[in-house]
Amino acid sequence: MDFAFSPEERKFKQEVDQFLIGEKETVIEARKELDSGTGFGSYVWDLLRKLGSRGWLCPTWPKEYGGLDLPHIYRYILTEEIDYYIGNLITVGAGMAGPVVLARGSDQQKNEYLPRIARGEIDFALGYTEPQAGSDVASLEIRAEDKGDYFLMNGQKMFNTRCHYAQYHWLGARTRVTEKKHQGISLFIVDFKTPGISLSPLWTVGGMRTNQVFYDNVQVPKDCLVGEANRGFYYIMEALDYERIFPSSGIRRDFQELVDYVKRIGKGKDPLVRQKLAELAIDIECANLFALRTAWILNNKRIPTYEPGIGKILRTETEHRLANTALQIFGHYGQLNKDSKWASLDGLFEWKYRDTLEYIIAGGTSEILRNVTAQRGLGLPRG
Amino acid sequence: MDLGYSESEQMIKTTAREFLERECPKSLVRAMEEDDTGYPRELWQRMAGLGWMGLIFPEEYGGSNDTFLALVLLIEEMGRALLPGPFIATVVCGGLPILYYGSEAQKEEYLPKIAAGDIVLTQAFIAPDLPTTRPEVEEMVVVKDGSYILSGVKLFAPYAHIADCLVYSSRVTEEDTLFLVDAKQSEVKSSVLPSIGSDKQCEVVLNNMPVSETNVLGKKGQGQEIIGKIGEWGSLAQCGFILGELERVLEMTVEYAKQRVQFNKPIGSFQSIQHQCADMVMDIDTTKFLTYQAAWKLSQQVPATKEISLAKARASDASKRVCLLGVKVHGGIGIMEDHDMSLYYRKAKAGEIAFGDGDFHREIVAQQLDL
Repeated sequence: MDFAFSPEERKFKQEVDQFLIGEKETVIEARKELDSGTGFGSYVWDLLRKLGSRGWLCPTWPKEYGGLDLPHIYRYILTEEIDYYIGNLITVGAGMAGPVVLARGSDQQKNEYLPRIARGEIDFALGYTEPQAGSDVASLEIRAEDKGDYFLMNGQKMFNTRCHYAQYHWLGARTRVTEKKHQGISLFIVDFKTPGISLSPLWTVGGMRTNQVFYDNVQVPKDCLVGEANRGFYYIMEALDYERIFPSSGIRRDFQELVDYVKRIGKGKDPLVRQKLAELAIDIECANLFALRTAWILNNKRIPTYEPGIGKILRTETEHRLANTALQIFGHYGQLNKDSKWASLDGLFEWKYRDTLEYIIAGGTSEILRNVTAQRGLGLPRG
Repeated sequence: MDLGYSESEQMIKTTAREFLERECPKSLVRAMEEDDTGYPRELWQRMAGLGWMGLIFPEEYGGSNDTFLALVLLIEEMGRALLPGPFIATVVCGGLPILYYGSEAQKEEYLPKIAAGDIVLTQAFIAPDLPTTRPEVEEMVVVKDGSYILSGVKLFAPYAHIADCLVYSSRVTEEDTLFLVDAKQSEVKSSVLPSIGSDKQCEVVLNNMPVSETNVLGKKGQGQEIIGKIGEWGSLAQCGFILGELERVLEMTVEYAKQRVQFNKPIGSFQSIQHQCADMVMDIDTTKFLTYQAAWKLSQQVPATKEISLAKARASDASKRVCLLGVKVHGGIGIMEDHDMSLYYRKAKAGEIAFGDGDFHREIVAQQLDL
């Protein structure tokens, strides 16, 4: 066993660090855009293109598609570095859609989408969730009828977050009505400019915009189908397993801010506060070790089973607990938002306390991931 | 970066597991709870023959100079089997401080015998501090003709009743000093404290025990520093033991959840049970990598104070959480006195407390955060 990074890995980390420090202004503005809840703006796109031009958005992909053919540990390093300065900025293209295209897509799709994803020019909006299909993704109902030379799509999506700034919808749609619901779903790449698609914004308690999406007789070309028809559910599940490394350095940064503040306001000697902060330090280290472990499993060309799920639980719940603990320590002041001069740390954790809820729910709730851990990790029978 | 076991690490685990599965069944664990000595002497000798007692000591003292990480992996297997005996006490709390702080004469005297399985050592640091119960002997050190006469009471000294040598602390002119005390002399009396883990923690009474200057461990007044180190090594070793215990508890629990049928289904198909099992996995896996990380760091000869306390705080809390969930999933059968689940439940409490519980180690983490 060896927990040390190699000299090349350390050098790479330093290189990324230097780059992000060098791009300070863009980085600060990009973080503001992300934190505003309205999604990618010009600074984020600018930063994505700069990262992409170095091959750093998709470092593990083959060179022919804009990657660097590097082991997954480099993706871990990049994810951690970017998380520290900006947030969990991974695009859906790099993290979810791209890998499926790489594994299952046609050559034409690979050539059309992968290099642009890798260069940071495009992104996708995840299109799985519907009003009646949340954790039970297989229940999705939006219809894609095969009309011979195109698919005709009708239906509705819910909580599809990036639709108002991504170029493409990574859409799960029903192509067959069968008794086994998960055997009738297909994946599509749909250009948002296609006539008949409309959006209606939804706002979270954390101030983040997400969307309802309506498909009204949308004609989608046949070559937008990804992989085989009716295999979409399995591709969705694969993508959840393969590619998810949840960084923890952003939490570490916020935690350090909290620790410094606690010292400034003279609460650092309170035994209760010390216990709470120490417990957070443990949780953060656990989240980090799980990200590292997932990267290491991928590095060895093995497929993780439950590890990314636990990694997600550890990151998202720790992030929420950090906000909750901060508010506990602040007492009355904790409830004040950034507009009050009495707010602690400009209301950072008051906002995080609301904002972090999304991460606990989106991308597989903690409870669904516990099911996955029990069934796939421990082999317990499905209920 | 390699989070897998190396070939030699895997070999240690596999050998230890096979050996202990064969030689240390739960019937032996239970028998040793009732037994006066509390450990299987013959098995102890065979473990020494396998090189376990000397694993971490240099070759010149009869050891094989392996890493702390290797030691933790071995102890993990001991925890899995609930192996009774003074292994951590002798090797980690006795041998290591002698190796790092002892005189050459002390090293030559003790380490080869430890490695050969010939002697048992244990730590005796914890002075009674209950206002309601008076110790029978007052703490006292008399310095006479360059040697010391020690009196006092220490508690929670594992296996002191069969130990050959105590690592004993006492205050000499306001400063803690450690002594290697011959435990077989009539001035030393040890009695077993009946405890939840039936793991032979003892009360040690020294009554005018003469100890020569050459038996001071480290320098005079260096006691606190060495005790701190022993606390770190012991914590990390205990993390390994807890980890092994919890891994076995999870296995037993999952096996049971798969075969136990209620409401016409295996209970393992119910989400409430699945979520409890998933919570156990999370506690165990995080304990595991925190422990390995700290042990790896220590093996690199760099300070690991923070990492060790991160690990022991989590291991201690995981210990009680995982065992409680294990009992709950087992239901009625899990609280039967003769069921293995309840055996692990009792032993795990002792491990949680040993070398400091979660609160104790979180306080160290807080200090390490510069709070």
